[in-house]
Amino acid sequence: MGDTTMQASAATAPNGSGAQIQHGDHIDTIENVDIVFRAQRKLSFTYGAIFFAVTLAIPASSVWWEGWYATPIWGGFTLNYLFVSLLYYVFLWTMAWTYSKQADKLDEELMHMADADAAAAENGKEG
Amino acid sequence: MVGNLNTVAIVLVIGLILFTISLSIFSRRFTRTTADFYLAGRKVGSFSNASAISGDYLSAASFLGVAGAVYASGLDGVWYAAGFAGGFMVVVLFIASALRRFGEYTVADFAFGRFGSNRIRLVTVVMVLLTSMFYMAPQMYGAGTTWKVLVGRGIFGMDPYTSGVVVVAGIMMFYVAVGGMKGTTLNQIFQFWWLNFAMLMVVFFAFGNGFSYPADLAAVSDGTLVNTKVVTVEQLAADDGAMLAKAQSVMSAEEFAEVQAAVDAGDSAAKVPVALPAANKLHELRDMLFNEPGHRYNKFDQFSMVLALVLGTAGLPHILNRYYTNPSGAAARRSTFWVLVFIGVFYIMAPIVGLAAIGFIRDAVANGTAPPTADYVNGMLVKSDALMPTIAQILGGEWLMGVVSAGAFAAMFSTIGGLLIASASAVGHDVYEKYINPNATEKQRVFVGKAAVVTFALIAMGIGLGIPASGLDQAYPALIAMMVTWAFAVGAGAFVPMLLTGIWWKGTTEKGAISGMIVGGGGSIFIIVLNILRQLGVLGSDGLLGFLGGLTFPTLFTFPLALATIVIVSKLDGQLPKNVDEIWMRIHGTAHERYEKQHGLDKVSTMFGKH
Repeated sequence: MGDTTMQASAATAPNGSGAQIQHGDHIDTIENVDIVFRAQRKLSFTYGAIFFAVTLAIPASSVWWEGWYATPIWGGFTLNYLFVSLLYYVFLWTMAWTYSKQADKLDEELMHMADADAAAAENGKEG
Repeated sequence: MVGNLNTVAIVLVIGLILFTISLSIFSRRFTRTTADFYLAGRKVGSFSNASAISGDYLSAASFLGVAGAVYASGLDGVWYAAGFAGGFMVVVLFIASALRRFGEYTVADFAFGRFGSNRIRLVTVVMVLLTSMFYMAPQMYGAGTTWKVLVGRGIFGMDPYTSGVVVVAGIMMFYVAVGGMKGTTLNQIFQFWWLNFAMLMVVFFAFGNGFSYPADLAAVSDGTLVNTKVVTVEQLAADDGAMLAKAQSVMSAEEFAEVQAAVDAGDSAAKVPVALPAANKLHELRDMLFNEPGHRYNKFDQFSMVLALVLGTAGLPHILNRYYTNPSGAAARRSTFWVLVFIGVFYIMAPIVGLAAIGFIRDAVANGTAPPTADYVNGMLVKSDALMPTIAQILGGEWLMGVVSAGAFAAMFSTIGGLLIASASAVGHDVYEKYINPNATEKQRVFVGKAAVVTFALIAMGIGLGIPASGLDQAYPALIAMMVTWAFAVGAGAFVPMLLTGIWWKGTTEKGAISGMIVGGGGSIFIIVLNILRQLGVLGSDGLLGFLGGLTFPTLFTFPLALATIVIVSKLDGQLPKNVDEIWMRIHGTAHERYEKQHGLDKVSTMFGKH
């Protein structure tokens, strides 16, 4: 793991449910990572689908929609020119910001799951 | 321009060079380990890293080329800028945080760690070097041509082009080898903000001189788009003078008389600048207007160009390497968001300059106040690559031209610096440290990294000097933009399918990934070589090779082919690494980051602290 001071330990979890990775007190199990991975994959590919749909809709409209590429709406701006020169960037910024926030929440979810597992293990010991 | 010396521009460029070298020397004392040399100690904050990535990304092609492309091609030139920016969405959605979490040094490290074989590491190293060299070529060519335009004379008996290539390669060799990634990062941050400032100043001066975005766009779109070109008398006279008739339809009587005189003189090899009405490649029955699509790209290329740019960004090794300098996966995402903001603002401004330049240059030519350092025909620049310094001089005199000149060199320095680090890490870290001398001391490793930087700077210089000799600059009218597109195509074919499947599909195997890289990267290079041969007249347009050689953007074919190859070969192979679950947790888990956060190891303030 690069230049960090802590080496990861990867092993099969004591309960036999699957592998886990540990850094100090922090443990990820493959079950938890898989749950969050699936949510992350859904998030990334949903945003990806929107991104590619909008991005490819621009040349598609440039080919087939005359009102898009040939009708001035503000001075010399057509819808096509306005979107490509200005609005496309607003679209990118909005997408990147909201995606990052939602992805951060998934990271937190994994952390909460790990905390819950650690608490459960602690309770098990005490019990 | 040749033969004229702009004193203010020279002073500002020399100031930039001295500042760059000073930053590298300052960073030297903080570069002790390989993590410092290649990754700036992994302690670069989101804002700083975003500035450095933006500097890495915005090359001479963006600074000089985008405004020029808009000036010459209208909306299709604007589309080029949007495609460049859109590429970072693929990075933020699919690659940034996973790559950082894996926590290695290079893309080759990722391939090795993910698929567990030395073979894939070496294939990746080869692809990294090929992609970097493809991207280095236009930067060095840009260095030579920019020197020619700005300085106009050679040094030590060399011609201006050679002087530019040698000087830039020499400076880069010194400052990257001395400063490593920390020095390069500091420089890229400064260089990015300088070139952004230069572009902003030109925009301010344009609006201050009466430019109106909607009104000027309407004015230049009122009539057929006109292009300038240098052609031979033989070309003008061909087809019963078809081109000559077209030139006559748009040129003023006085200027056309000069063209006619050249034709009448009878020297078929003589070259003449002409203005010609542009044809609409997308809607062939419509006039080609500035604010409509179709000047550069036909129906097929409208789609394939944007896919090449959007996918290619995520395959540039010098950009991907920068993601390892983030302290965490979340920081990698935040960095990418800021990159999108920074380069978005830049790409909004560049088309404004391209549009504004049309009116200002036309008026300056009419008034006789246009800089004599550029060539004009029909009130337009003959070569749109000279747009930035020309419009700067018209709007703000020598000082603004000086700011823009320094911006052009800043754009080259920042990108070449990133490429040199990426190439050096591929050889120094991926080959030397892993195979040649695994027991090397830190001092030896850093020394090899520096030696690799020097070696690749020399190779880059050789490529830069070889381009005019190969005739490529004559074969392609917009060579810098073309070569940048090639680098994007190779990166998109070689790395993006491997990274996407490696990160998002656990079933990807080593054999599948290698096959995909060879098919995607090798296929792209093969098609590019065919394209060059066809452009040089060596290859005809007939048959399959002729068809492939005619593809401007191979990504539309090579990317899906590489993706399909990875899936099919992986399914047939089925040999997953034994520790695939551990690998999966390294890519998608956060235990390591939580540990670092708990112990304060994710702080970015120590980038220039002592170890």
